[in-house]
Amino acid sequence: MSASQPEQTFEQAQAELEQIVERLERGQAPLDEALALWERGEALYAFCRRKLDAAEGRVEELARRVEQSRPSGI
Amino acid sequence: MPAGREYAAPVAKVEALPYDDRTVYSVAAFNRGVGQWLGRLPTVWVEGEVTELRRHERWATVFFTLKDPGDACSVGVTMPRSRFDALRLDLEEGERVHVFGRPELYEQRGEFKLRALSVERFGLGRHLAALERLKATLAAEGLFATQRKRPLPLLPRRIGVVTGNAAAAKRDVVTTIRDRFPPASLVVAEALVQGSRAAGEIVAAIDRLCEQGDVDVIVLTRGGGSFEDLLPFSDERVVRAVAGCRVPIVSAVGHEQDTPLCDLAADARASTPTAAAKLVVPDLAELCGKLDRAREASGRSVRISLGQESARLERTRERLRLAPALTVERKRAALEPLAAKLASLSPSATLRRGYAIVRTESGLVFSCADVEPGDRVEVALAEGAFGARVEDVAP
Repeated sequence: MSASQPEQTFEQAQAELEQIVERLERGQAPLDEALALWERGEALYAFCRRKLDAAEGRVEELARRVEQSRPSGI
Repeated sequence: MPAGREYAAPVAKVEALPYDDRTVYSVAAFNRGVGQWLGRLPTVWVEGEVTELRRHERWATVFFTLKDPGDACSVGVTMPRSRFDALRLDLEEGERVHVFGRPELYEQRGEFKLRALSVERFGLGRHLAALERLKATLAAEGLFATQRKRPLPLLPRRIGVVTGNAAAAKRDVVTTIRDRFPPASLVVAEALVQGSRAAGEIVAAIDRLCEQGDVDVIVLTRGGGSFEDLLPFSDERVVRAVAGCRVPIVSAVGHEQDTPLCDLAADARASTPTAAAKLVVPDLAELCGKLDRAREASGRSVRISLGQESARLERTRERLRLAPALTVERKRAALEPLAAKLASLSPSATLRRGYAIVRTESGLVFSCADVEPGDRVEVALAEGAFGARVEDVAP
């Protein structure tokens, strides 16, 4: 499963990433699996980062539009 | 004193003239006859409002008209001037009085009058009692019930104002509405707000406003005044008109302490005309400010929550970055005790104390039974090893 699959939401990716980190921090995973988890975690992080950046971009864009359309003279 | 006789027209015989088979009275005889008949009616109390009061030093009689406040009816009243003056009433136009008298015909003109023996001012106490009775009746009908009260519209299309012309109350309401909500549409219906004609005019003004389809709320207002001044606003017709009005009514009559009955029937009550205006329109500047603040707050909260998500993601990423090294470190740390244990199990420490390990080709030698004289053995020491042969065996 890829982290950029369209059906995965930001929240799902974030939850999976946090589970992976907790699992790694417990240190019980076999070494090979730990490395695989780490790679998966990085992919999830990149996905979440892209989502957040896109959301911030939209907020700023909306704020600019609102500012421009502000009625004057009331 | 026995009522009646003293002021009755002198009793005279009413004579008719016969014309063939017809009995005909002269005007004087007719009037006299009707007058005598009227004179037999009892003396009663009549309540009404004084208008057209005429009193002259040269006249022996005082004239005024007694008007029914709830109706268009009126009756002329006469009273001997000496008697009127003795009462020291100092009556004013529009005052409500009780007149004790009886009907009388002014024979010269054939006019029917109420001949007054006494006049009493309709006192505050009586007004209050009448008001209380009316209040109880209307309350029993449920006119003042809380569940009848309707909410006022947030943004009325048009606001009707019932007020006196040139009244300060009118100015206060109109100015306040314009200040708070400049685009407000107003229609003012003027009415007399005190005196005997006020109640009828107020009802008519309310009706006029209700006929305008886009009027969504009505303000009924009058500034402060005497108890009598405010009486029209407790008039049953006004109270019923307020209760039955098509749109919600805000009543702002008199001062805080006054409670005319129309206040009880109205959907909302304000203590002053200005307060009434504040009830019917929102403050536009305040409203716009609120909306702006709400918009800013929502934008801010979206940004804050994005920032929080971002920070949380970065913290998780930092933990992720450290995790592999941590794993390797843990694996290494887990190896350390094994190495120590391994070291403690090694025989070299024992050998260093002077012991030796003896073994043959078939393995370690634990017992003298494991070897025979002449067998070759290997002897391992702390430092190095040598070969040897068994000389003898001592079990």
